[in-house]
Amino acid sequence: MATASVRRPARRGAPIGRILFLSFWLIFVLAPLYWVFITSIKPSDDYLAVPPVWFPDEPTLVHYTAALFAYRGLDGLVNSLIVSLSATVLSAVLGTLMAYSLARFNTGGKHLAFWVLSQRFLPPVAVILPIFLIYRTLRMTDTHFGLIVAYTVLTLPVSVWMMYAYFRQMPKSMEEAALVDGCTRWQAFWSVAVPLAAPGIVAAAVFAFIACWTEFFFALILTSRDAFTLPTVFRAFIGFQGAQYGEASALAIVSLAPSIALGILAQRHLVRGLTLGAVRG
Amino acid sequence: MQASTAHRSVRRFSLSEWSDRHFKWLLVAPAVLLILALSVYPLLFSLWVSFVNYDFQIPGHAFIGLKNFKQVFADPVARWSLVVTVILSVSSVLVEFLLGLALALAMVKNFRGRGLLMSVLIVPLFISPVIVGQAWALLLQRPFGPTNYLLSQLLGYDVTISWLTQTPWNFIALITADAWQWTPFMFVILLAGLTAIPPNLYEAAELDGVDGWQAFWLITLPLLGPMILLAVTLRLLDATKLFDTIFIMTGGGPGTQTYTSSYYLYTIGFQQFHLSQATAGSWVFLILTAIVISFLVRRLLKAEPT
Repeated sequence: MATASVRRPARRGAPIGRILFLSFWLIFVLAPLYWVFITSIKPSDDYLAVPPVWFPDEPTLVHYTAALFAYRGLDGLVNSLIVSLSATVLSAVLGTLMAYSLARFNTGGKHLAFWVLSQRFLPPVAVILPIFLIYRTLRMTDTHFGLIVAYTVLTLPVSVWMMYAYFRQMPKSMEEAALVDGCTRWQAFWSVAVPLAAPGIVAAAVFAFIACWTEFFFALILTSRDAFTLPTVFRAFIGFQGAQYGEASALAIVSLAPSIALGILAQRHLVRGLTLGAVRG
Repeated sequence: MQASTAHRSVRRFSLSEWSDRHFKWLLVAPAVLLILALSVYPLLFSLWVSFVNYDFQIPGHAFIGLKNFKQVFADPVARWSLVVTVILSVSSVLVEFLLGLALALAMVKNFRGRGLLMSVLIVPLFISPVIVGQAWALLLQRPFGPTNYLLSQLLGYDVTISWLTQTPWNFIALITADAWQWTPFMFVILLAGLTAIPPNLYEAAELDGVDGWQAFWLITLPLLGPMILLAVTLRLLDATKLFDTIFIMTGGGPGTQTYTSSYYLYTIGFQQFHLSQATAGSWVFLILTAIVISFLVRRLLKAEPT
């Protein structure tokens, strides 16, 4: 993200209005996060207190242990890690291979690139029904492998297009020099282009990981008792009026911490990630 | 002997030459094959499913023509879910665009703490929509959530809104949750667009006596145009798939009132197990989305952002 300050005539918009608006928005962003955090450490007796308990006198961690063990949140966490990491690696590797080919050799012309892009816009509900039926015949439902493959395909368009944009703005001269020196095309790719593109590959991988980590719909349908991921554990808390507020909140805190941390680390590449490489930011 | 080594080296050379010649296709092959297997093949398979009677209970898949499609078109819930999808996605994206633009304008100038504020403002983008839905349900739900209490204090009378079951508040709740999560999306893209506008344009305009709102309408908006189109298009395409927050916050309720198309197809397919009907419905939905996409993408390519 380009944070370079832009000097601009300092008159538009009274600064007081700007400060008020930004403060309001900051509170709006933080309020749900604060309330979830407070609920996760609140004793159950405080749930229905009027006025609401803004900070509990005796914070407790019981909801965390309940969410992780009684509601199998820990299993979900492990599954989420296995599935997200594997799909991320696959997506980054396959995406980089394809993007390099598209960027350097214009493989398949514009058509192939846009065909991959179009996959990003398919409604998930249109693909999930047949995938579910196919997985059922292949006995791939509720397996790590099934979800990993599905997530790889889900994240590929973004990985390909982020890396496509990255390779296109990278000068070819180093690879050409390597070819002149007698390297094969593979060597020029693997030992020259890939190391140069490493920051872009890492950024693409981070966004793929966040996408897998936060995904709900595919996991809801393709997994049940064994391979369920963290977001699907929230199913257990729907419909139970009130009793599990603490557990649901504790689980939310556990689940959102890693993806937020990663996202902020990759902040510099955010614009590229959100626009599939269209805007360099 | 000599001939055979020469022959072998020729062969080895031609093998590496072969891989060099087909290098570009070898590189795209794994990704393309995977997409073919998990996206193109399933879609073709589902086209077949939508014309037969696919039922776990009934053996064999009898061809029944357009019956599945007729059932979908005849279902008032299907039509209503499409209306809900349009209402929710258009109003969410509109709210997100206006707020995102305001935020981008407020953040474009440098000030102390801007970097830190930036990191906080983008946090919602990295949270699972399920958790966003859960968090807003916690804030709003009667009697547990603090929202009604705060509103009562603020307005001076007793507010007892059932945010998740009472119309129009359930729609407002869903839009609020969506805007909370995705306004940063608009904000980040539009901010990148604003920072790319050369500041000397404003200086030149000021010399001509153009500033304030006039400068915004005459310089900022036109130059930001392609970026706005890009951000709105990308966001709108995702907004039409709305499912997760519906699942967690309203469960489609009360009744079938907050069913989106994705949620409707999910219930038909995976709760009632009318697989063929759901597949036919998802093809209709897919075609409708494709029409919108091709229209928007064509506009986008004409505008050519950056």
